[in-house]
Amino acid sequence: MTGSSRGAKFTRRKWAAALAPAVLSSALRAQNPAPSADSPAGPGEELRIARERIRNNADALAKVKLPMATEPAFWFKV
Amino acid sequence: MAAPDNDVFFATIKQLNQRLLAREFSAVELARAFALRLEQLGPRYNALALPLVKDAIRQAKAVDGDLKRGRLRGPLQGIPYAVKDLLSYAGQPTTWGAKPYAGQVFDFNATVIDKLAGVGAILAGKLSMVELAGGGGYRYASASLFGPGLNPWDRGRWSGGSSSGSAAAVAAGLVPFALGSETSGSIVTPASFCGVTALRPTYGLVSRHGAMALSWTLDKLGPFARSAEDCGLILEAIAGKDGKDPGSAGKSFYYTPQYARPVSELRIGYSPGDFSERADAAARDAFAAAIQVLKDAGAQLQETSLPEFPYGATLSTILSAEQGAVFEPLITSGQVDQLADQAQIAGLKASLDTSAKDYLKAMRVRRLIQTEIGHLFGRVDALVAPGRSAPAPKIDQPLSGRTAAVSAAPQPGMSAIVQAGNLAGLPALVLPCGFASGLPLALQVVGAPFSENTLLAVGNEFQTRTGWHQKRPPGV
Repeated sequence: MTGSSRGAKFTRRKWAAALAPAVLSSALRAQNPAPSADSPAGPGEELRIARERIRNNADALAKVKLPMATEPAFWFKV
Repeated sequence: MAAPDNDVFFATIKQLNQRLLAREFSAVELARAFALRLEQLGPRYNALALPLVKDAIRQAKAVDGDLKRGRLRGPLQGIPYAVKDLLSYAGQPTTWGAKPYAGQVFDFNATVIDKLAGVGAILAGKLSMVELAGGGGYRYASASLFGPGLNPWDRGRWSGGSSSGSAAAVAAGLVPFALGSETSGSIVTPASFCGVTALRPTYGLVSRHGAMALSWTLDKLGPFARSAEDCGLILEAIAGKDGKDPGSAGKSFYYTPQYARPVSELRIGYSPGDFSERADAAARDAFAAAIQVLKDAGAQLQETSLPEFPYGATLSTILSAEQGAVFEPLITSGQVDQLADQAQIAGLKASLDTSAKDYLKAMRVRRLIQTEIGHLFGRVDALVAPGRSAPAPKIDQPLSGRTAAVSAAPQPGMSAIVQAGNLAGLPALVLPCGFASGLPLALQVVGAPFSENTLLAVGNEFQTRTGWHQKRPPGV
């Protein structure tokens, strides 16, 4: 915002000028086709990858030394 | 210099409020202008989920009546805004960005929408998002009912996720502010890619009643806006105790920049490698300049790194278990196959395999993480890291390595700050800090729980010394 615009009453003409670029938008609406979300790996391979990730996460967690008294972080209001 | 008319669409909340009070324009005129702009330009960025033009004008008429009678409700009175389409607004569709929920309508408002209505803010529309906030781990930007989020700085680039529309709409001047959500990176990432200031509040500070649940122990709602000051004003309005949210911390937030510690008194931890060898080569100069701004402000920068934990594995396990429980009916019914992204579908299906043992292990590791990060904040007042280490990727580029996969390898410096921050429920402020190849870059400033005023003070100082948050995308 510029200082020069302060105190100036907004007229219908000013609002129309401000919104002018938006008028172009209807022509743009059809220009955003979504590229295909199909995975090159295929659904079966994606599921295998996802399950492997869960196993890898479990393996990583298994390496953390946890004192027996460590309780889960269900409550963490500080 | 831009024409004065267009400046309205990029004005801060305080500037708009002053002009409303000076009767330069009415709340109805302002609401109509923004709501129409959002309706007409939102599709250009695949940012719009639902226009609410008539509703906005109806709300604005009430605000004009209040202003006429001298009933002042604070700086958000008469300010239009929009919300991520995971927040319920009574009687209107709430799609969660996903085809199986395209016809979903709730009969109540999210608490944050009611709170903003209480201070006279005007809901002008709902914004696009990655389907189901992306918890399954999506591979493509097109993982949304609304198509890929397009970045206002370059529509060939992604706007980020999962709060794609919230960041794009603010960046393009379609609304003065927006609300989004974060479970792990969904505010920080799109704000960084779109060059918008945004705040991820402390877990529990803002009620999530009426928001889609993805992960009960990780989900947070927060604002995207034009400045750190705007984020403070919005947070004050939306924070507070809510008996309808079991995770509510029962705390209010008062934005008090007048009482904030000077930045020159703050110890800020950072890892230089995050801004150099671990950052995209094109981004390093801008990041170096941003760190220098903090040094020039007198901040005491201290080299530090996060305590060593498997942050990615911990977060991924917790998210997987909780989203599996949330979306079990969707998954077992087979409707999950209607989602747009194969990796997301697979991630949700596999989430049912997460064992209770692993979930509890992750939650116990999380307890250690919270304790160690608490110790870290005994040595520093805040942490600073890149919002993202590189600018927005191309729209058709696979996102593997960003969201679809979680590395179990140790992450040096503060590379895991997003996962660590979300696991510990920490607040983060995203500050635009320059450009690489014409695309925005940002810093994230992370603090101890409920230290939002400190983060906002850092943000105010940074934005007093730089103008990155005021930059506008070309052609808007």
